[in-house]
Amino acid sequence: MSQLTLHAPSYKTGGETISPQKVVILGVGNILLSDEGIGVHVVNELSRLDFPPEVSIVEGGTDGFRLLNIITEADRLIVIDAVKGGGIPGSIYRFDINDVQSCPSGFKTSVHQIGILEVINLSGLFGKTPQTTVIGIEPKSLKMGMELSPEIKTKIPRIIELIQYELKTSE
Amino acid sequence: MGKKITIDPITRIEGHLKIEVEIDKGKVTNAWSSGTMARGFEALLTGKDPRDASFVTSRFCGVCYSVHQVCSARALDAAFGAKVPWGGTLIRNLVMGAEFIYDHPLHFYQLSALDYIDIMAIANYKGKDKDLLAVKDKIIGLVKSKDTFPLTPRYEPDDFCVKDPEIVITAVKHYIDALKMHAKARNMGAIWGGRTPHYQNIVVGGVTSYPDINQVARFRTMLDEQAKFINEVYIPDVLAFGTGPLWKLAEMGVGGGHYNYLSYGAFEKDSDGKDLVFPAGVIVGLNPANIKVDPFDPKKITESVKHAWYKENKPVHPYDGEQIFNLDKKDAYSFVKAPRYDGKAMEVGPLARMIIAKNPDLIGLVKKGAKPGAVARHAARAIETRLIVDACYKWLDDLQTAMTKPGFKIHDTEHWDPPESGMGVGFFEPPRGALGHWIKIKNKKIENYQAVVPSTWNASPRCENGTRGQYEEALIGAPVPDPENPINVVRIIRSFDPCLACAIHIIDPKTNEIRKFIVE
Repeated sequence: MSQLTLHAPSYKTGGETISPQKVVILGVGNILLSDEGIGVHVVNELSRLDFPPEVSIVEGGTDGFRLLNIITEADRLIVIDAVKGGGIPGSIYRFDINDVQSCPSGFKTSVHQIGILEVINLSGLFGKTPQTTVIGIEPKSLKMGMELSPEIKTKIPRIIELIQYELKTSE
Repeated sequence: MGKKITIDPITRIEGHLKIEVEIDKGKVTNAWSSGTMARGFEALLTGKDPRDASFVTSRFCGVCYSVHQVCSARALDAAFGAKVPWGGTLIRNLVMGAEFIYDHPLHFYQLSALDYIDIMAIANYKGKDKDLLAVKDKIIGLVKSKDTFPLTPRYEPDDFCVKDPEIVITAVKHYIDALKMHAKARNMGAIWGGRTPHYQNIVVGGVTSYPDINQVARFRTMLDEQAKFINEVYIPDVLAFGTGPLWKLAEMGVGGGHYNYLSYGAFEKDSDGKDLVFPAGVIVGLNPANIKVDPFDPKKITESVKHAWYKENKPVHPYDGEQIFNLDKKDAYSFVKAPRYDGKAMEVGPLARMIIAKNPDLIGLVKKGAKPGAVARHAARAIETRLIVDACYKWLDDLQTAMTKPGFKIHDTEHWDPPESGMGVGFFEPPRGALGHWIKIKNKKIENYQAVVPSTWNASPRCENGTRGQYEEALIGAPVPDPENPINVVRIIRSFDPCLACAIHIIDPKTNEIRKFIVE
């Protein structure tokens, strides 16, 4: 896998310094339920790569409330998660949080009970809501087990490419 | 025969819990509590290196990860024969203490308060307070945009709901303040745990990294800020509600249940470990005028599966428990097993702990006329949060003193390797109540592992002799004048802070419009 190099938007054209926007790549899921843990497996891979200091890689487990601190510190949030979207297993989805908010069961699209999207909504009650993109993967198996299904595991490099693309287009 | 209603799901937090009640003449006459997801993560541990257990069990639940980790480490300490040095215990206690600081206020404001206030009363706020007007604007903005989550869906406000606009708007402001405090508090455990969620520092024998003075100082600063909120906002709010608008509910003792209480005991006050912040004990059939606490005997715990979807078996001790599903079983209605102490259904959690401790603040409220029930549960939670905050200051001072002395230790490294065979139990008292992990080791690998979690005690179905679980019993007699609006039922259940993610687990997939966002 190639090493990722990125340049943060540290300078405006006029040369004055601005603080770079804080990017959080957040993988969520339960690694005890096979493909449900895909977000965690992806960020574990990401943590082996180099990123500029304003990019944080966070493995968030499964409870939204527990992530309030991480969410409210971010300007830009990229969430990696298992998503039940009805596609074939291994399908990759990409959507902005605003695209799903009008869904009546928006936060139920993730298989966690208190979804990350729900908590991002909450963070809006007392502070900023980060610009949020979800990269979702259709799971094959949600059975108890600590291994990913092979057809999901092979998607990890592609998911990482998509994350890198998000980071470039965020600049 | 009364009217039967079903509430599903009932939690505002993880897990699927279904409550069915029968109502006759405006009162609950019978109740069934069902965990509707299969559980059994323990099976994953069989055959693994025992030292993995504290990390794997921390994935049982996204909410209570660290308490499983510490409870698991305690089971391993026992099985390995490890003696955690006082320095290691102090750091474990600080990590766990922070857990109460996040959890209890969150439960009151985010998971419960909306059952007690009429949120729409905000529109009638006529005051001039700038902060409160900002809250009013925010809420009205949500209503206008037709996106009132998280304030809805809700049950219709009843006579017990607070409708005074001043009080409601202040409560909602505190709801928002509590979220802010929660976001900050999340970082407290990470000071010691290296990250949050899913800490890295708690292992068999103690903890993995030596503290430095900066960590102590950072924790103290954060503790100061949280303590201020807890003492000046959270506790006064709970008391103001409990002894004010909700006093009648408290006096009625709505949500009482069996009046049997169990605490395993937790949080060593000093290095000999005898004096605990939460003492261990058992109360059967509480008599508030003469509280009799029996010693806790771990051998008296059994789990019944008579009414749970598991293979038929006699009640067994957790060391011998198994997870073999039988979905066709007659009389079964839950994936939660029925733990019993000496054959009796027990309540675990803050109310159990504060009664067993004979805490003077709680006993004082009971003497004034508050019967142990839903409102008293909120009070007990607030009272013990203060005990934990005070204990955290003491542990921090102790750690600061101990860490500068020669020979300071945080880990029993002599006992790092697994024994050839052995068994052990770890007991702990996390925010939601009594937690136990039992491990059997054979050929240096895990042979059997069982966790009995707090919500299993409280949410259990009936057992061998048909005795209801504590949720079920607590619902009997609850006033439900309008079956369309069973607000007292949810008040009672939520007063226990149900969290079923680890009690049970399965996925309920929902298909919706996400397909249109497909990338490939």
